[in-house]
Amino acid sequence: MSQRFRLPSGGHVDRSKRLSFTFDGRAYDGHHGDTLAAALLANGVRLVGRSFKYHRPRGIFSAGAEEPNALVELRDGARREPNTRATVAELFDGLAATSQNHRGSLAFDWMAVNGLLAPWLGAGFYYKTFMWPASFWERVYEPMIRKAAGLGRASGLPDPDHYEAAHAHCDVLVVGAGAAGLAAARAAGATGARVILAEQDFLLGGDLLNEPGLEVWRQESIAALEAMPEVTLLPRTTVFGFYDQGVLGAVERVADHLPQPPAHTARQRYWTIRAKEVVLATGAHERIIAFPGNDRPGVMLAGAARTYARRYGVRAGETAALFATQDAAYDAAFALAEAGTRIAAIIDPRGDSAAMQRAREAGFTVKPGCVVTGTVGGNALRGVEIGAVGSGGRGDAVPADVLMVSGGWNPAVHLASMSGSALSWDEALLAFVPGAASQHERSAGACRGVNGIGAAAADGAAAGQAAAVAAGFAAAPAITLPEAPAPDHRPYELWEVKGRGKAFVDIQDDVTANDIRLAHREGYSHIEHAKRYTTHAMGTDQGKVGGLVGAAVLAEAREEPVAKVGLPRFRPYTSPVAWGAIAGGEVGQHFQPVRRTALHGVHEALGAVWMDAGIWKRPAYYPKAGDADAWASVKREARAVRERVGVCDVSTLGKIVVEGPDAATFLDRVYANTFSTLQVGRARYGLMLREDGIVFDDGTTTRLGHDRFFVTTTTAQAGPVMQHLEFHLASAWPDLDVSLASVTDQWAAMSIAGPKAREVVAAVVTGLDVSNEAFPFMAVADCLATGVPARLFRISFSGELAYEIAMPAGYAAQVWRAVLAAGAPHGIEPYGVEALGLLRIEKGHVAGSELNGQTTAQDLGLGRMLKKKGDFIGRVLAQRPGMTDPSRPRLVGLRSVDPARQIRAGCHLIVDGRSQGWISSATQSVVDPGWIGLGLLRDGETHIGSVIVAANPLMGEEVPVKVVSPHGYDAENLRVRA
Amino acid sequence: MSAPEPVHPLAGVARGRHGAAGDAPLRVSFPARDIVQVMVRRGQDAALAAAMRTAFGIDAPGPGHTASGSGVTAIWIQPGQWLLTAPRTTEGALAVRAAEAFSTCAAVADQSHGRTTIAVSGASAREALSRGCRIDLHPRAFGPGRAASTPIAQIGCLVHQTDAAPSFELTVFSTLAEPFLHWLLEAGAPFGVEIA
Amino acid sequence: MLRIPCPHCGARDEVEFIYRGDATVTRPGPDGDVGAFHDYLYLRRNPRGWQVEWWQHNGGCRTFLKVLRHTVTHEVRAVATATETLEVPGA
Repeated sequence: MSQRFRLPSGGHVDRSKRLSFTFDGRAYDGHHGDTLAAALLANGVRLVGRSFKYHRPRGIFSAGAEEPNALVELRDGARREPNTRATVAELFDGLAATSQNHRGSLAFDWMAVNGLLAPWLGAGFYYKTFMWPASFWERVYEPMIRKAAGLGRASGLPDPDHYEAAHAHCDVLVVGAGAAGLAAARAAGATGARVILAEQDFLLGGDLLNEPGLEVWRQESIAALEAMPEVTLLPRTTVFGFYDQGVLGAVERVADHLPQPPAHTARQRYWTIRAKEVVLATGAHERIIAFPGNDRPGVMLAGAARTYARRYGVRAGETAALFATQDAAYDAAFALAEAGTRIAAIIDPRGDSAAMQRAREAGFTVKPGCVVTGTVGGNALRGVEIGAVGSGGRGDAVPADVLMVSGGWNPAVHLASMSGSALSWDEALLAFVPGAASQHERSAGACRGVNGIGAAAADGAAAGQAAAVAAGFAAAPAITLPEAPAPDHRPYELWEVKGRGKAFVDIQDDVTANDIRLAHREGYSHIEHAKRYTTHAMGTDQGKVGGLVGAAVLAEAREEPVAKVGLPRFRPYTSPVAWGAIAGGEVGQHFQPVRRTALHGVHEALGAVWMDAGIWKRPAYYPKAGDADAWASVKREARAVRERVGVCDVSTLGKIVVEGPDAATFLDRVYANTFSTLQVGRARYGLMLREDGIVFDDGTTTRLGHDRFFVTTTTAQAGPVMQHLEFHLASAWPDLDVSLASVTDQWAAMSIAGPKAREVVAAVVTGLDVSNEAFPFMAVADCLATGVPARLFRISFSGELAYEIAMPAGYAAQVWRAVLAAGAPHGIEPYGVEALGLLRIEKGHVAGSELNGQTTAQDLGLGRMLKKKGDFIGRVLAQRPGMTDPSRPRLVGLRSVDPARQIRAGCHLIVDGRSQGWISSATQSVVDPGWIGLGLLRDGETHIGSVIVAANPLMGEEVPVKVVSPHGYDAENLRVRA
Repeated sequence: MSAPEPVHPLAGVARGRHGAAGDAPLRVSFPARDIVQVMVRRGQDAALAAAMRTAFGIDAPGPGHTASGSGVTAIWIQPGQWLLTAPRTTEGALAVRAAEAFSTCAAVADQSHGRTTIAVSGASAREALSRGCRIDLHPRAFGPGRAASTPIAQIGCLVHQTDAAPSFELTVFSTLAEPFLHWLLEAGAPFGVEIA
Repeated sequence: MLRIPCPHCGARDEVEFIYRGDATVTRPGPDGDVGAFHDYLYLRRNPRGWQVEWWQHNGGCRTFLKVLRHTVTHEVRAVATATETLEVPGA
């Protein structure tokens, strides 16, 4: 019979909307407004999963985010999502849910044999057992443990949905939309403040949803909030973290309640909320009592049973018992009785109370001074054993298929604690409550121990108004508040009923009270140590129902008050958040922006193979029909430069205009060499050190005018160099009148290199005599290129006669095309970063692999560049003995003795059997075919001419290499000056 | 001699409708702009303010603000630094004008090719921008004539509100204009985006 | 995540800033010796409590700011520009 536990009326489900779903392949019905858990209970499904370690049968334990047990897989295929709490999963038509963590059927799990092994599977079991032999860990133990433990399975497929980030600012953020939160948002909103009200549930109201008599006030409140233009309501939104300076994180489940997100709609939204003031109205979590068998399906929190009856119109069972330590829990018995469930017994360790009297008047059997000593049943609860307080042993059994447990209420202090508020112990509540605020936050209602809906609403209204006033708004007239009786919620102190059998303090992680005591005996007595030793409160529920119980058990073992033992530190996330939401939109092409030069489309049309240079895309090489492989392309391009002419996009170099009366002075201080002596219209190679004397960056700098310089940096260091310059202007030399402008994007640039470069440049450039006499090496001048304003530099990285033409980026394509056209008669080839690298290695120029943050100017053979006079960054510390030690690895050239044997960057350089350096860059030469490289070798110069070994132990390679001068190609620089 | 028109960094982007259908899409366009960075010399603040008033009819705006006059808008970007922007005319014209106006009191760098402006307008513009923009664009915190530099989708962006529609001009490094636009298209997809 | 009130741009998220360390050390002048530069570069108080730090508003106005931050609570009590001086409160 379908939904035989569903009540004919009542609650917040729409019985006119029937939703079909499956659980473990069986079809069921539920209603709009149900959670999966409510719908399962309505159909009498009690067993929903197997536990983490012992594979014990588990049922639905709560009716909310605190659920430790009812973790299921939702959906299938690429959308399959493991470890989802059935108690918060909104039912939709066609939902497919499956139980997890069992072999064989859910009802008969082979792994339940772990339960029999329990004496050996206690806390610390893994640490102790799987230590020997060590080699077994990776191959045997870990795979075995991973297979046996763990919960659901991820889909293993790319997530078909998209997620997005969202940023919000508000005057008052209210977390939680129960009575306190609704009242707080109304009071704050009435002042005109910008208010965000975030509620993790899909309905606003919290406990109001269990109070038909207060429905009018709930609806009136929601209507009032919806009418306020500056109030934003965020249902289905969990605020999971409270960070510094009023920043909170939240995840909104935009489309989790739908089979799949509609087009252009994110599945979830990851909010970063910046709030001037925060009102925490997060309510309280009912807590468990540790007694033997407290995890059996059918045992659930009293408030949960009440919620299923009142909100969902579902009876949690036929016959119920209540085990409670305070009057506030008794409403569960009345709610179930109203729903038609027989109340078998109320077990209460106290002698008498108002609620007990009312229960007796209602005809319930009340067992004062009693506790539950055990549970009876297999995969479902059949009975409850009852004994007198402190009697020990097993008591008399009372038949029941539901046992409602309430050990008291823990204010949900997670966010308050994360905000920096120290928690304080409330002796009456036997729970921690928020202490003094350290940020602009205040707690209201049950999350600070206020009892009852009416009092919580009043507390919330006061907090909401105070928050708005603190944010600078004038108080508004008071709002109407609901009235409701508030049974006493102060509990009798009962954390554990000792007896035979497993008494869990953490149902999700299978941690028992005995495990906590074991941790204490073995020295893990600090709550943080006990947590890690036992895994207590480490599950997805973060110990919401049992965390404090574990602490209390530890306190008893330590013979200290719970207040002193405390709780483990609360950290984000309060509830599980999907990785997809955390990544947000920053996946795929949005993982990192791709930076493109103005010539990107030109390279694309030429069929460039791309290479990543930081976030830039640069052409690695341009394959042509007939190239046997990538190396053939690269060598073809390099040969064109050596023999004829080539053109290369060098727009990615950083470009900074340094201007002002003190520009030359400034550059003298930031470069190791001198720029104040540079003539206008000339460029100079510059070397920048870090303050510790290590080489930072290099590049050419041009003097455009007396007070105006054009600095270039390497592609990789463009950003850091700019910051370096800005930092020293701000901190070390604020007296210098210098301005810095990054013009990297303004200017595109291309290098035209090769013996025929002058002919090509002359054909493209007008307004400038480019002859060697008029425009020598290191000359710079403005000109026109294809009629557009451009700047020509006579500089070379390849070792050939070369020019760089820079032009405003929008003209780069037309200049490039003109260069190719002018170069066609000379056999011009575009060349990429690979050929550029080949050419500079042949020439012996250093680049990023040599400027690796470990090398000094001396190491690179550039020691002569360091000026002798005047201060500059790195000057002093570069003189430390360790930096000038002549035996430091020095730059050398390398050549594979057998031209056919490859050498690789990263190889060790072995001299006399010991590693004395490494290969920093390697390539094939086109000048003298074979493998060549640059490396850093101890006493490098003394080895020049000798043969050593380049070893790559990872690949089992040992290649004889000859040590040579790094400047083997045109050592006199005749070609660049030709 | 006037130079041929430069290629716009977003020239290759498909015009027309992107994302969801709907009556109130984000309207996006790529207005061609001359952009010049002006950096005051030490102690020349008063001279610069006077020159800006004389040459452009603009009272140099303070932090977070912009000011317009005679077709040119000045946007505060850093202490002592402004961007002057104007509809594009001939190559380098605004830079030449600025260099003359500020010859003794400021450094001037033409950024017309280095920066790309994307104009966004529509009732959903604020919500779409909030998918990546970390600053508060609420009318109480921002508004026409306000500007702020802030990273959006990992890309440095100068956000300038031009009217209460609301309309914004988003100015980014030209080499990052394309990924920035792709982010904007994704952020605007739920509302629909119409590229003019 | 910190929010740092930039004197030019208002409160901004930490991701807009780049941390540049202790702002109380001063680069030695041209006559500084190895010892002075060593102290400038490497010697830090690393206090448990208030510290004046350099933060560059890299994503905004690019200014280097002095930020008075508590290293335990992350409270930011004062922000100043490079030429201003921030007093460190007593422990």
